[in-house]
Amino acid sequence: MKKINYWFLSSLIISLVIIFPILTVFISFFSQTSSYLELLSNTFLSLYITHSLIILLGVLSLTFIFGVFSAYFVSFYDFPGVNFLKWSLILSFAVPPYIYAYSLTAFFENYGTLFTILSFIFGEGEYNKYIPKFDGIVGCILSMSFSLFGYVYVLTRATFFYQSNNLIEVSKNLGLSVQESFFKVILPSARPAIVAGLALVAMECLADFGTVSFFSVQTLTTAIYNSWLAFDDLHTANQLSFILLLIILAVFFIENYSRGAARYHLNSQGFRKIPKIKLNYKLGLIICFLCFALFFLSFIFPTAQMIYWTIKFPKYFYDIDILSLNFNTLLLVIISSMFLIFFALLTNIGNRISKNKILDYMSFFSISGYALPGIILGVAFITFFAWIGDTLNYLFGLTNIKGIFIGSIFGLVLAYFIRFYSLAFNGIKSNYIKINQSIDETSLLLGFSKTKIFTKIHMPYLRNSFFLITILISLEIIKELPMTLILRPFNFETFATQAYIYASQDLLEAASLPSLFLIFWSVVMIFFTSKYILLEK
Amino acid sequence: MYSPFFEIKNSTFFASDRNKVINFNLKIDRPGEIICLLGPSGVGKTTILRSIAGLQKIEKGEISLKGKIISSKNIHVEPELRNIALSFQDNSLFPHYNVIDNINFGSNRNSSSKFKLSTKELIDILHLNKLEKKFPHQISAGEAQRVSLARSLISKPNLLLIDEPFSNIDQSLKGELQSNIKKLLKKFEITTIMVTHDSYEAFYMGDKCGIILDQKLEQYNTPYNIYHYPNSIKIIKFLNRGVLVNAKVIDDETLENKDLGKIKGVLINKFSKGSNVQLLLQPDDLKHDDKSDLKLEVIDRKFRGTEFIYLVKTKNNDLIPISVDSHHGHYHEIKEKFGIKKPIYIDHLVCF
Repeated sequence: MKKINYWFLSSLIISLVIIFPILTVFISFFSQTSSYLELLSNTFLSLYITHSLIILLGVLSLTFIFGVFSAYFVSFYDFPGVNFLKWSLILSFAVPPYIYAYSLTAFFENYGTLFTILSFIFGEGEYNKYIPKFDGIVGCILSMSFSLFGYVYVLTRATFFYQSNNLIEVSKNLGLSVQESFFKVILPSARPAIVAGLALVAMECLADFGTVSFFSVQTLTTAIYNSWLAFDDLHTANQLSFILLLIILAVFFIENYSRGAARYHLNSQGFRKIPKIKLNYKLGLIICFLCFALFFLSFIFPTAQMIYWTIKFPKYFYDIDILSLNFNTLLLVIISSMFLIFFALLTNIGNRISKNKILDYMSFFSISGYALPGIILGVAFITFFAWIGDTLNYLFGLTNIKGIFIGSIFGLVLAYFIRFYSLAFNGIKSNYIKINQSIDETSLLLGFSKTKIFTKIHMPYLRNSFFLITILISLEIIKELPMTLILRPFNFETFATQAYIYASQDLLEAASLPSLFLIFWSVVMIFFTSKYILLEK
Repeated sequence: MYSPFFEIKNSTFFASDRNKVINFNLKIDRPGEIICLLGPSGVGKTTILRSIAGLQKIEKGEISLKGKIISSKNIHVEPELRNIALSFQDNSLFPHYNVIDNINFGSNRNSSSKFKLSTKELIDILHLNKLEKKFPHQISAGEAQRVSLARSLISKPNLLLIDEPFSNIDQSLKGELQSNIKKLLKKFEITTIMVTHDSYEAFYMGDKCGIILDQKLEQYNTPYNIYHYPNSIKIIKFLNRGVLVNAKVIDDETLENKDLGKIKGVLINKFSKGSNVQLLLQPDDLKHDDKSDLKLEVIDRKFRGTEFIYLVKTKNNDLIPISVDSHHGHYHEIKEKFGIKKPIYIDHLVCF
């Protein structure tokens, strides 16, 4: 009996650690209102929400079009370059929206890259007034759409991938035209996946801080940041967080409701590749061009812009301590992954051994962190530990508690832990449940001890998922901006924060080097995981 | 000018290097016939169906339906315009529609057709009553196959193609479904090409059977003729119902085997006297007789319900199957001697 209690206790602690930011936000909202919030609600709050929603709508529409059509064509049709394109489209994950925003501005701004190109081709001229400016809300929508459509693409493609027959063929055989089969069969069959993809896009979009802050669009996230930074008003920041959380909750519910009885995919008889329909030469080239354009705009364009500026302004090679940026990122990634995998494994083993219903229930709660925007988590983190620190200081005269958690590597890692715990937990769980209970039983009958089962059978099997999880966590941490910005120690920079700081000082050319490194490392990570992302393993 | 209802002429079907069928010819004279295509897995049966349905183009030859060419090197009628229904072997149901909606997908097609087939009727025949509101992921593979078949049938196709329709359906239901579907196809005169690897199924369902071996249509004939007059050793090996034993031709009506002695009957293929041939012996060719002095050793005994099949060994180590009525009074245990009726007379002597 005692054994079960240990597992129970560890699961309980992890769940509590993860749930405290949400509790903090809730408690803050229902305690008294400060005057700043009244000010907001009178004048700006509705404007913030409107901005957030306009951007959300724009991004959802564009990611829907980009994601669904590209997934549709690469899944069902055979055309020139389809194998390269299906892979290259996930490279968009390497460019976070805020870096896309830097490129967009660098390219189109007055005397920017486009101006240079035009001058080079046509000679000196007054091109600035003819070059469109993508900033403000439009810039936000474009940046986020091109860097987030991958979620819709990957999930929609997964649905198509798992069909055991080419649905287009089936519907053609039933007498439907290509258009009819798209609207009556293909689109509805992928609905749950499309909605799930869009829900992820929506959460990323609502949680975005870097892009809106760069384009100076006032949204809920910038308001949360400003009320913390400029007004030093954590209370208001938390209350705004609460409103943002409500919107995210709504997204969750819509996603869940929409899924209904329909499922992602069905494939009752094992997997086999669906036969692809060959497009005729002309149509094939058009589709190839469109998909390539999407790849170009989502990945080549921002990367090329960053490379161009890095080369054009070599002095930042010396100004920026690129070695320590690499080191810092590596440090965060390694410590966080180790913590996350260790504890996620521990909880998974606990759940497997004790088969306790309450444990299952609690682990469900503890995976909520991922839906929490980094900025909310950051602010809630500070709120909570400031309160703990003050309380302990008041009660026992301990003065340095705050310093352990706020502005320290430990605090930052703890925050990452909360945010990405679900990634690690589910990653291990999804593999762990594939080890059938009967395998354990067989091993016991063959004379293996429980420890031996774990070391000889479970661990080798799970090793692959540790690798995958580490990479996914790394990808997230490398790109993470607002939380790192709020919680990092003084003078401790990552690629993301360094680029952000330069960009917010209007030093885009300086931001390009850390941005480029960020893209580079992300591409490396994606390269290692592409087989999993594209379901080819 | 006469033209058959459906015809495939000199066509080559190609899915992959291993998986192709060359120089394929097949004719269905009248509508309403059921054709079964038999062959080992991977031989290209599904590719043929896909090509007939228009999901795949053909490089060589032509396919025509009702006197009109639908596939050739230069002509390719789109699948949605052919009115040829294909019931896929794998689950091909639309995952977001329930069973009844999936079936109704076919119902609007060909409303001018002369036969009226109601969804209700089909659901009864195919035993789908309790599944109507379920979604594809909630039903079994066998059930999904039946729904898929119902969807194809309801579209009242000019030609129905069925790919291994009973492969996931349990034995007890299989027999009933086979008979129901056969009745239905005959009643509405639905011309059908069915692919299967089960020869019993093919012999029962098909008016004619085509056997595809080694990239070729090896034989195309009625089930009776295929069973009794197989035209090659390959067919015999594939059907696996009989064995070949060595024999010598004595005259047009007599053969001689070392162990069995003289065998009388009519030789189907002519051989010159004295030539050595291989004779096909099927379970129903030799008769059991306890009193006979021709005794062979029992190696194995299979109980088939209506009959026993004894496997007996000759001195020459040939293993010959012999069918014995299930009511035959006593068992012959393994290693016992088993009498064979003499003189041996076999209606048609199939030799190679």
